[in-house]
This record gives sequence, structure tokens and C-alpha cells, in this order.
Amino acid sequence: MSGLYLHIPFCKQACSYCDFYFVTRHKRKDEFVEQLINEIESHRNSRFTQEPVQTIYFGGGTPSLLSPAQVGRILETIADVFSLDLKEVTLEMNPDDVNAEYLRGLRSAGITRASMGVQSFDEELLKFMHRAHNSTEARSCMEALAETGFDSYTVDLIYGNPGQTSEMLQKDLDILSSYDPPHVSAYTLTIEPKTRLGKQLELGRLLPAEDEVVAAQFSQVEEALLRTGINRYEVSNFAKPGAEAVHNSAYWSHENYLGLGPGAHSFWWEEDGTSARRWSNKPDLSDYLNNKTEFKKYDEDLLDLRTLAEERIMLGLRTVAGIDFKTLLEKYSWKPNEKTETYLHNLQKNGKARVEDGGIRLTGEGLKISDAIILDLITLNE
Amino acid sequence: MNNIRNFCIIAHIDHGKSTLADRLLQITGTISEREMQEQMLDNMDLERERGITIKSHAIKLDYKRPNGEEYTLNLIDTPGHVDFAYEVSRALKACEGAILVVDATQGIEAQTISNLYQAIDQDLEIVPVLNKIDLPSSDPEGVGQQIVDLIGCDKEDILTVSGKTGEGVPALLEAIVERIPGPKQETEKPLKALIFDSIFNTYRGSVAYVRVFEGVLKKGEAFKFMANKQEYNAEEIGFLKMSYQPTKELRAGDVGYVIGSVKSLQDVRVGDTITTVKNPAEHPISGYQEAKPMVFSGIFPTQSEDFEDLRAALEKLQLNDASLTYEPETSKALGFGFRAGFLGLLHMEIVQERLDREFDIDIITTVPNVQYEVHLEEGGVIEVDNPSQMPEVGDIDKIYEPYIKASIITPADYIGPIMKLCQERRGVYINQMFMQNNRVEITYELPMAEVVFDFYDKLKSGTRGYASLDYEFIEFRPGHLVRLDILLNGDQVDALSSITHRDKAYYQGRKVCAKLKELIPRQQFEVAVQAAIGSRVIARDSVRALRKDVTAKCYGGDISRKRKLLEKQKEGKKRMKQVGSVEIPQEAFLAVLSMDDED
Repeated sequence: MSGLYLHIPFCKQACSYCDFYFVTRHKRKDEFVEQLINEIESHRNSRFTQEPVQTIYFGGGTPSLLSPAQVGRILETIADVFSLDLKEVTLEMNPDDVNAEYLRGLRSAGITRASMGVQSFDEELLKFMHRAHNSTEARSCMEALAETGFDSYTVDLIYGNPGQTSEMLQKDLDILSSYDPPHVSAYTLTIEPKTRLGKQLELGRLLPAEDEVVAAQFSQVEEALLRTGINRYEVSNFAKPGAEAVHNSAYWSHENYLGLGPGAHSFWWEEDGTSARRWSNKPDLSDYLNNKTEFKKYDEDLLDLRTLAEERIMLGLRTVAGIDFKTLLEKYSWKPNEKTETYLHNLQKNGKARVEDGGIRLTGEGLKISDAIILDLITLNE
Repeated sequence: MNNIRNFCIIAHIDHGKSTLADRLLQITGTISEREMQEQMLDNMDLERERGITIKSHAIKLDYKRPNGEEYTLNLIDTPGHVDFAYEVSRALKACEGAILVVDATQGIEAQTISNLYQAIDQDLEIVPVLNKIDLPSSDPEGVGQQIVDLIGCDKEDILTVSGKTGEGVPALLEAIVERIPGPKQETEKPLKALIFDSIFNTYRGSVAYVRVFEGVLKKGEAFKFMANKQEYNAEEIGFLKMSYQPTKELRAGDVGYVIGSVKSLQDVRVGDTITTVKNPAEHPISGYQEAKPMVFSGIFPTQSEDFEDLRAALEKLQLNDASLTYEPETSKALGFGFRAGFLGLLHMEIVQERLDREFDIDIITTVPNVQYEVHLEEGGVIEVDNPSQMPEVGDIDKIYEPYIKASIITPADYIGPIMKLCQERRGVYINQMFMQNNRVEITYELPMAEVVFDFYDKLKSGTRGYASLDYEFIEFRPGHLVRLDILLNGDQVDALSSITHRDKAYYQGRKVCAKLKELIPRQQFEVAVQAAIGSRVIARDSVRALRKDVTAKCYGGDISRKRKLLEKQKEGKKRMKQVGSVEIPQEAFLAVLSMDDED
């Protein structure tokens, strides 16, 4: 079983928080699609095509800048090169690109799940984020989903913005809940250094929200969504039972995935299961189009089992399901030492984690500070 | 004919001693133009950078007078800092004369005066010299009058030179020959040679720099150190030129070196007397003292696995620096390290910097303190140089602390700020004396503990660098001293304890707490930061619990990034020091050291 990630590096404009790889010139979009198809072809008969593909994910950038026909051609090529056992085919889209016709087109092309980049319904916040869409478009895309019966989808939301009050957040959550989405990805705003917001922060023109405020909103989001039957199952992901994202969940449990397109990342276990590789494609569209990359690995790390164990703990503890000791021991030869056990015991005592049924699960309070807990755990267990 | 002259140069830092010495080397042809490296005599990098002499040096100049007579001039350079006052006194002892160098643009400074008085006490012939006369801002008239007032010489006796251009240096060489008496050359008496410095050479062992006062030392002869009675063979003796120049004998009046396969500098003590085994002198040369450390501080490796490297480094440093003392110390917070004793603050800084530069070891040092005499309730006296050794309050009868007499010379404009600083540091005003050029000498008696901690920096910054300081130990006096402890969630952090005056404890306690609050990262629980005297808490603050620390996204590409960040954080985490359940970053220990009084 494996997943495929396709990076579509085109955007209408740069969102103020985004540090993914993208370009804002679209002239070579058709050329890109051809080259992406070439890249897929380049894997024909490779070891990556041996495992049945379970999920396909179009990420970006802005995949909704592709036409349904282009998406269709890409999917056809994948079907031709890879063996498929598809459970989920997701495409990220921006509200301003979406209407009922477009959604129907994608459906016939083979897309089964939409990922809608709403981020907020608040006009001011959307401007702050420098999104291409406005508040009206944020609502109309939700209506288009309903109209076309696109019932498997997720909505992205960003909270913890500077100046965002709990009332403002509640308004966003209320509007969102009115559409009864099956899945929500709600992220706290992260200000990355090489972004527009990062620059503003550096210049002292931006005052980030206080930890206490964001921590309260972290709980507020969970409570509001819970009322509509959506549970948190990862730090930033919420779903109705059974509607959890298959593709993303595979990242967190170390399933193989192959990334295609400039800047895409891949992860693949070595045959013997004692190490794995992570690599990325070069984030450079013109090199990609001029075939300078030759679809070769750009940046590669070979991860040993100990590193993988730490990754697995890092990824697993961010999920509500947590990690179980049996997997850690059997797959990663990792077991808690005495110091770790004492630490876990204290976490449980302080209500930050539950250590039971042969595993560790962080509580809501624990999740809020999961970075610190993860760091403690892997440092203690050295 | 007595054609030897032994002399030293007395000067304040920056007054151009090294440049002048270089010029003497050059004009006498001791080194060629080509070999000339600026400030030849300061051969440690650190010395050259700081423009101060840490070790004494000596060099033999062969001088041919204009009239054709040939002389041997032994220049004995002296350390230029108050911490090394004893080394200075031994270097002076080895000479018959001293060149007093005063910067004609600045005037006389505190340390120059104290060294000058020492030289006069030892009956040295003083040759006064005004330096830097090439500079437009020089004031030979006014500064010359200062010299006249100070040593009672005639104005005509003062030479004017420029170390930079070489002007007046030939006349200075003539004055050295004419004014400074030659040494007594009593070669028939039993050997008495004064060790005025020693260095450690990796291949040869310890090398003693000596001035022979009486008798003769022959190559291969058995000799002994009179203070510690150790006996060696004079495997090699010789003169100190730019390199060692072996010879067959050192005679009364000579300055040279002695190598005797002495393994440790601990045997070669500055101030000790060398005599022969066969025909020993009855009494050593007077004035020998064991170097006594005045300032103490903990030195801990940043990484606990560097402990053995630190030990090896200190051993090596001690080979070359007999005044450095150390013994193992264990701190609950910082682990295994050493308690080291230094002559003074500069000496401490030099040792710390050499550990970093020459041995590449990261260290944490604790707040420096002096040695206290603690009189116990049940009788008896103990010496305490580490806050952790301070007995319980109830067991103490009285604590005595060392006092110094500080002499500060400053332009009169800065009297106010200096007096304020001295008062704040519990100083006792003694007097002030006005000098030429609108300058004044202020004398205070101060607890040494108040001077070892950033006093000098404060003095300099408060007077735009103009004030100079000299001090000497006077006596132990009783003081209302307490041990100030710092507690984190109830656990005492031993490395942050300090001994302080009762009246200052509250203020200091509040400041340390505030600083720690700033520096200790939020943890999973609230951390109470308290300052206490005994069981009494006098200040408190708290570090709030961590509320939010979670990466929002963790998908495909984010995972590598997050893992790499985690690796980095893990390294940082390992360097944290743990007290009870609280993690303290290294900077917290250092920041307490650099705490500014005024904030």
C-alpha cells in the first residue's frame, strides 16, 4: 500500500503565511502537466509501482488551477503506470476557483474528496492572510459542494491569528458548522521566517497572539466541532467517525508515499524494513520543465531505525490514537527506559497523557504542549 | 669595570612601555628590523590583544656606547596589572634601577605610583621618562611637574622620548649606563640567585629566570631551591636573548635562566632563592611569599563529558602559572568541576579565556567570591571560599571579610561618580589628594568582595576610562554577611548561592529572581523562583507553566524539517542543567554573573 502526492506549484498570489513552493506565473502550466505525466511515466516498472496505490493527493500550490481534463489525464497516467487500490483521491482547491461545474468535472475525472482552503469566513482575516478569495467566495464554495453532492471533503481553517478574538473565531466556527462538514483541518497560525508575515514579525510590525490565547482557542475549536459530531483525531485534524483523511493518516503511520512535481517529498522503506529514505524533488519549476532535474532525488536522508522510532513517536503522539508500545518494539525496536517510564507516569498524574492499553495517548492538555512532551521523551530515552 | 646594568620599566597600561622596550631592542641591535614583531616582549596572544603583560620577561641587550665601551643591559619586564603585584615586587628586586615611563598626554596613574613607591623602597635608581612626546596632545610641562612632585627629582633629569619614532631613545640608553649603578659582583660568596619568574617548556620542563646576587652558578652544578628544599642539577644555564643562549656560568650581577629537569612549576616558586648544594648560602634573599589566591570561583564543563579534559587543561595551565590553584568540586546543579583560586579578577578572566582559546573547552563559571574567616559559635575559625561551605546561620559567631586599600587616580571631574560607587560598595573614605593637571588621588578602604565583582568595569565606565585603580590587602574585618540561596520549586541551586552583605541581600535576591524568571524557559509546571537567607524567603517570582507548544502542521515535507529541528532541540536539551525537576539553561548561570547593578 502506498500514497501518491502530486505538487501543483501554481498560485494566483502569495498567501502571507505560506512557505510551500509555488510560482505565480502560470504560462507554463500546460507544459507542467506534460512533464508531470513524464515523471509518472519515469516510474514505470520501478519498485514504487509494485505496491497498490491507496491514496492520491493533489497538493500545492493551488491544484484547482488545473482543469478537470488535466486532472483526468494525470489520473489516467497514474492508473496506467501504477497498480491501484484507491480509497481516496483528494484535490486541494481555493474557493475562488470553485463552482458547481468545476466540481462535477473533477468528480468525473476521478477526484473523490475535496480539500477546501477556506481558512476563514472573515473578510479582514482573509485580507490579513492575503488570500485570493473573499468572504462571499468562502461561503459560495461551501454551497457548491452541497449542491453537487460532493459529500467527502475537508475544510481548512486558520486560527490564533494576531488580533483574532474568541468571538471572531466562534463566528468562523459557527458558519463552518452550518455546512455540517465531515472533516476539518484547523491550524494555529504559524509564522515562518521566509514568509510575508515572517518579515513583518522581524521588523516588529506584527504582534503574534499570546500563547494563553492560542491555547484557549485550541480548546475552543475542539469543543465547537465536537458539538457537530466532529472529533479531533490529530493536533489539527477533526472528522466525523470514519471520515478521517486516509492519505494524511498514512504520513503519520510511516506508510510509503511517493511525491511527484517540483518540491514534492517522498518516504519509502528499504526492503528489509530496518531503514527508510526521505527525499524531495528540487523545488524549481524551470529546472523541472527543462528536464534538468531528470526526476532525480534532490535531497535524500537515509533514516536508521532509531531515527524512525523518534519520528514515529513524534507523529504518533500528535494523534489522539497515540502510539502503542507493541508497534514501537516490533517495528522499531524501541522501548521506554526507566527514566521514560517515570516521565510517562508523571504525565499521566498531571493529566497530560493516558498510559494504558499498551500505549500512550496525550489528552487535550497534553496535545497543546506535545512538542515539549515529544522532545522530553526522545531525549530521556537516549 | 662593572659593565652590567639591571633595570626594569615601570609604566601604566597604554603608556607605551612595550613600544619603548621594542625600540630598545632594535636600537641595540638585539633584534633585526626583519625580526621585529610589534611588541616583541608580549608573546602570548592574549597579552598582545589586551596590551598588557601577564608574565614577566627578561632580555639581555648588548649595548655599545658611542665612546666604544660595551655594556650588558638586562631589561626585566614586569606584569602590568594589580593582580600580579607580588610578581612585580620580585622583578623590581632583581634590578638596580627603574625607568619610570609616563605618558606625556595622560599623566601618572594609580598603579604606576604604587610600583614606583615599591621601587623607591627597594632603593632603585629611578630614571624618569616622558613618553609619546611626538603626539600633539602631549603636555611635557604639566606631566613633568607631576613627576617632579612625586619623586623630587630635578626637571632637567626627566628624559623625553617617543617610543614610536625612536626620538630620545639613544639618550635614554646613555642615561641607563650613567645613572643606574652596576650590580655588586661578589662572586666569592656562596650562591644566591633570585627567581623572579618561571615558565614551563614542554620539552625542557620548568625554566627559572634568575638574577644572581652573590656567588657563581656553574653548568652541571647541583643546586637547590631554598624555600622548598628540592635539589636539582643545573643541566643548562644561560642568558636570555631572543632565544636561550647557553653559557658555562652565571655570576653575581648576571640575569639568566636555569634549567634543571624540574617537572613542575610548583617547585619553581617566584621569589625563592637558588643556592648550591655544595656551598649553600646561609639565608635566602628576603621577601619570599607563597602566592595566595584572593578570588575563588567554580569552573564547570558545559558538557559533563568534558570533565577530564578540563582537569588536563587546568594541569597544563598550572605548569605555566604557579599562582593558579584548583581542587575538585561537585555541584548538584552543574555536576563535577573545580573550585579555582586566582590572584584577582583579571587573573581569573585570563584563565577562563585560555581554557577557551588554548584548550577549546566550554565552561560555566560561578559568581566569584573572596575567602572569609568564619568564627564559629562553639569556638574555632574556618576559612570559607565557597558559599556552599558556609555553616548554618546558628553556628556562626562572626564572619570576617578581607578589606583592601584602594587608590584611585582620576581627573577631578569624576570625583562624584567615584565616591558614589565606593559608597555603594560599602567603602570607607580615607582621603583625597589633588595632583597637577586637575587630577586627584582618592583613597578608600573597601571590602574586597565588593571589588572583585565588576567594580573595575564600573569604575572605568563611570569615568570614561580615565580612572586608574590600585589596591592592596590590608586586613580582615567583621561584616554582617549572609549566604543568599536561590531555590527553584523548593530545591536549592547550589551554583547560584552567594555571600553578600545583609543590607544588600533583599535587593540582590529580587534581582536574581527577576533575571531567572526571564531566562528559565516555561516548563510543564509553574516554577517558583525564590531567594532565601537560611529558611527565610526574602524574594520570590515565578515562571508560568507552558501553555502551548505544538507544531500546527506535520505532513510530507514538514516531517523532515520537524525532525531536524527536534535533533537540534535535543542537543540544546542535553546541555540544560537539572535541579530537582526544573531544567535550567546554561545562560542562567552566566547571566547572574553579568547582572547589572543599575537595572
